[in-house]
Amino acid sequence: MTAPAPAPVVSTTALRRSAVRRVPPAVVISFALVAFVLLWSVVPGLFTSHDPAVGVPADKFLGPSGAHWFGTDHLGRDLFARVVHGSASSVSSALIAVAIAVLVGGLIGLVAGFVGGWTDTVLARLVDVFLAIPEFLLAVIVVSSLGFETTNAAIATGVSAVGIFARVMRSEVLKTGRAVFVEAAYLQGGSRWHILTRHVLPNASRSVLTLAVLQFGYSILIIASLAFLGYGDPPPASDWGLLISVGKDYPLAPWLIYAPALVMIATVLSVNRISRWLRKTD
Amino acid sequence: MNRDYAKYALRRVLQAVVVILLAYMFTFVVISVLPGDPVTNTLRNPQNGFTEEEITRIVAYYGLDRPVYVQLWSSLSRFVVGDLGVSLRSGLPVTRQVGEVLGSTVVLALSALGVALVLAFGTAFGAQYLPRRVGRLLRAFPSLFLSMPNFVIGLVLINVFAFQLGLFQVIDSEGGLATFFAAVALGIPVSARVTEVLIANLDHEAGEEYASVARSRGLGRTRLFLRHLLKPSSLPVVTVIALTVGELLGGAVITEQIFGRTGIGSLVERSVTTQDLPVLQAIVTLAAIVFVVVNLVADLVYPLLDPRVRLGGTTSAARPEPRDLAEVVAP
Repeated sequence: MTAPAPAPVVSTTALRRSAVRRVPPAVVISFALVAFVLLWSVVPGLFTSHDPAVGVPADKFLGPSGAHWFGTDHLGRDLFARVVHGSASSVSSALIAVAIAVLVGGLIGLVAGFVGGWTDTVLARLVDVFLAIPEFLLAVIVVSSLGFETTNAAIATGVSAVGIFARVMRSEVLKTGRAVFVEAAYLQGGSRWHILTRHVLPNASRSVLTLAVLQFGYSILIIASLAFLGYGDPPPASDWGLLISVGKDYPLAPWLIYAPALVMIATVLSVNRISRWLRKTD
Repeated sequence: MNRDYAKYALRRVLQAVVVILLAYMFTFVVISVLPGDPVTNTLRNPQNGFTEEEITRIVAYYGLDRPVYVQLWSSLSRFVVGDLGVSLRSGLPVTRQVGEVLGSTVVLALSALGVALVLAFGTAFGAQYLPRRVGRLLRAFPSLFLSMPNFVIGLVLINVFAFQLGLFQVIDSEGGLATFFAAVALGIPVSARVTEVLIANLDHEAGEEYASVARSRGLGRTRLFLRHLLKPSSLPVVTVIALTVGELLGGAVITEQIFGRTGIGSLVERSVTTQDLPVLQAIVTLAAIVFVVVNLVADLVYPLLDPRVRLGGTTSAARPEPRDLAEVVAP
């Protein structure tokens, strides 16, 4: 037996580096893809020199090529440029949807779980209603009641997800509320507000964050579905769902469907992968 | 146990009734906060050809000249006795209009559920028993299915199988093959959560001691799967399947539109465009009723199927929290 090796001194940066090394390659790719899409939506001009709204009529229905990566549409517009410029609207509406779901749903769940008693019972039935109406139908009636616009579609999508966030937040709050350290904090004279902000919320936020990431991807799909039905901004807007909806009218140019669909699926898949990774590293 | 069960069942039934009534009121409120006055707009629209008398009759029927809470109350009291009102477009009773197209959607939804279950059980079995590489690939399926919206799948299926291979005609939308492909488009995203839960359960059961014992006694893989693992793994799936009802009904809106079917989904789409609010409200309420009833039945049947479940005092101790479950147990 040799003498035990001295314990290696681990600096925090080394720790962080080893944590980075443990990130699976698929997650790295997912992060890169999402980063790309986010960049598209912030500075679309960097990625394409074509104009998304003005086409060259002579160049209509060109298949994917070096000059037009995703081909061109029925007006000769570059499809890649339209996808890139459309991502801003798709991404920001998904963000709005998630923000609404997290804030409203989170607040309902927090109050229900933290106050308890009758408040909890009443809110639980309300949440049941949100969950009982099929998400997509709920989004459809909300958007039809607000008016057909992409922002309204985003709000509708957020409303349709309120139920699930309320439920998760409530169960997290209840779980933390029973923990010994929360009891200890009470015994030490911690106020309810102190316990809520210092103990309950930070502990619940992890699950809610994971769900929010997942919901971000899901919202992209729901908003695209609403846009597909024509409940978002009309053309020349180029939301991904709208692009697919326009593309379906030209069966001889299938890339008009495939290209935006693949971008959308890849984005949502990456977001799901990131969410799963976050859940695992919990 | 029996008394506990009766108490549990009674409480769940009462809850379900309350939720259905609340869902009706909620829908009413959402629809009636509409900016503008679409009801009057629709009625006064000369294209619809309502006479002044009919308009007065409908306005009186719905109490449109009275405050919203009075309307809500009278609407609710009609709903309780099964009267869902009259379509603003056709002037026909909503129940009749919905009843006419219900069958097509039921066929589509059940076929889609069938597709989803075959896909889920096939994928889960493969993930467990096929060579490791294939299994790992199959484990990515739920995530992939969750990322593919049904309209994309539908359009791709139509493009490949109808336009290029000519297997079915989109015009003959209720035909066998057309229905099958519509069911595939609707079923694939729905299968994601079922598959996820099923894979996780199978992994768990395969690691249990009884499974090792059975294996050590020389039981073949397929027999082990069929005789021992399948039942305990698929029981919890009953509740997940019940939750997919909402996705099936919601997804039908788009699937029916793409495949040119006439059903509840396309009726929703049409009612949104024409602002036919009574029809819209009826369908949303109907969807909520179906969802609540199916989940109620699942909740009531589940403790009978799985004796390990103990009925606790809290709201839904008998079953795992719906989507959280899929979140938590995902691989």
